[in-house]
Amino acid sequence: MDIQLSRVNKRFGDTAVIKDVSFTVAAGEICCLLGPSGSGKTTLIRLMIGALPADSGTIQFGDTEMPNMAILKRLGFMPQNDALYEDLSAQGNLAFFGGLYHLPKRTREARIAEVLDMVELTDHKRKLVKDFSGGMKKRLSLAIAILHEPDILFLDEPTAGIDPVLRRKIWAQFQALKAQGTTIIVSTHVMDEVVECDKGALLYNGRLIEYDTVDRLLDKTASGRIEDLFFAASESEARS
Amino acid sequence: MIQLAKRVIRQTINDKRSVMLILVAPLLILTLVYFLLGDSDYVATVAIDPVAVPAPVIDALEQQELELVDITADEADQALDYLQQHEGVDAVLRFPENSAMDITLYEPSTKGATAISEIQEAMAAINPSAEAEVSYVYGTQDQTLFDSLGYVFLALFSFFFVFIISAMALVRERSRGTLERLMMTPIRRGEVIAGYTLGYSVFAVIQAIIIVLYAIFVLQLSNEGNIGWVLLTMVLLAVTAVSFGATISIFAGSELQVVQLIPFTIIPQVFFSGLIPLDLIPYHLGNLSYIMPIYYGAAAIKGIMVYGDGFSDIWGYLAGLTIYALVLYVINTQALKKFRKL
Repeated sequence: MDIQLSRVNKRFGDTAVIKDVSFTVAAGEICCLLGPSGSGKTTLIRLMIGALPADSGTIQFGDTEMPNMAILKRLGFMPQNDALYEDLSAQGNLAFFGGLYHLPKRTREARIAEVLDMVELTDHKRKLVKDFSGGMKKRLSLAIAILHEPDILFLDEPTAGIDPVLRRKIWAQFQALKAQGTTIIVSTHVMDEVVECDKGALLYNGRLIEYDTVDRLLDKTASGRIEDLFFAASESEARS
Repeated sequence: MIQLAKRVIRQTINDKRSVMLILVAPLLILTLVYFLLGDSDYVATVAIDPVAVPAPVIDALEQQELELVDITADEADQALDYLQQHEGVDAVLRFPENSAMDITLYEPSTKGATAISEIQEAMAAINPSAEAEVSYVYGTQDQTLFDSLGYVFLALFSFFFVFIISAMALVRERSRGTLERLMMTPIRRGEVIAGYTLGYSVFAVIQAIIIVLYAIFVLQLSNEGNIGWVLLTMVLLAVTAVSFGATISIFAGSELQVVQLIPFTIIPQVFFSGLIPLDLIPYHLGNLSYIMPIYYGAAAIKGIMVYGDGFSDIWGYLAGLTIYALVLYVINTQALKKFRKL
């Protein structure tokens, strides 16, 4: 199921945060939303999942416009802040979200054990989240997002504040999910992570400045570093 | 919905302070109120000049529960100064030549009122024709202030504590982003509010049972009616409090702001709950009570506990509460559209 954005605009008060963004994410790809902080990555994700209504333009999953209940079931979302219940244990958080997706009880428990293992939190499953470290919270948040085996996964800065070793492990997970056919839209401001993705969407001040395969994006730069594309964008904006 | 209710219950149990606030705090405050409003056994002190006061009057005064202090004629003449200098004395009683009786009090207070009523009883004992027989349709003369106002606190507690906890939980849910995450699952908007209400209702039922049993059987609060109706009213009030808390949480950005909103949300309701008779409030402001959920709860509980009313007498108030809760439910469900239009 492709995700198509067509001429999407969004303003907060007087500030236009998303300006005329159009692109299509093909099913089964990892698409990376890249941009400096404040460029509109989070807003774009929230528009795509239907948490925010667009001022104009359309967002379609296949032929269906968002928000839609049937699509919501197939969608996983990991917000930028951890959005966990601090007074519940890791297991409690997972059981709650699993219940909201109406996972049958037996498969739910097996699946909870599986994702806890994936993010290496099995030993801490009974601990209350308020006693978790920042990295543990991030991992639990990821576990919740993939718990119901979504077809499309939205990840808002999933590796921010995570150490390099774990970051590599998490990216290996994403690749495994991709291999199972999951579409992943991931935002990041870590330019190195772009090489893990199939496509890169470069956002700058709410505008989509580049959208292409990562290989071709890298070819466009002289140094082979994605940052150069942003420097070019900032220079051309300064001139105009 | 059940999932959400279960989560609310588990979360509240894991937060010891919330459990204390719902289950222990009401008992603590109710006990304090019992001692504050209960029978104090205060013995007033009255100063008299034994030379100037007729002997039968002194005899009658001694029969009353009064502490008598003898003062000189000079001190009696300067009653105001004397009272200012002697804090322990509540009243000076004199019989000047040209008037019947003269009572000077330190200040208009309950202590002074006790002194006056004891003096009046003494006078009535001397002159039985002056005695007034008082009788009541409901209640008796021996009832304390706690008996006649205690019901207000039952209503206040069932509303206030659940309101605080649910409003804060919902504000936290908004500010931590869990509400947005919740709305990205296939849950219906109505289910969110209903689940919250159901979860807190469990605590409301437990709280109501504990408070009512404690008030009636331990603190001996007088009750004319059926305890079942009292419990039903309290639970209905708590359910309204959850919805009220959810609505208030829309206007609060943080838990602190919920506390800042208490002067607007809770304190006016305390005044209109029946603590002050609504007929005494000027400019028809008493009618404001109709927009305050605690009023409906307190009026129903008063009906049951003081007048011995049954369902046929209180159903109007219960209907008022139910309508209140339903209107808030609709508002809250609409407010969630901010997070997901669907």
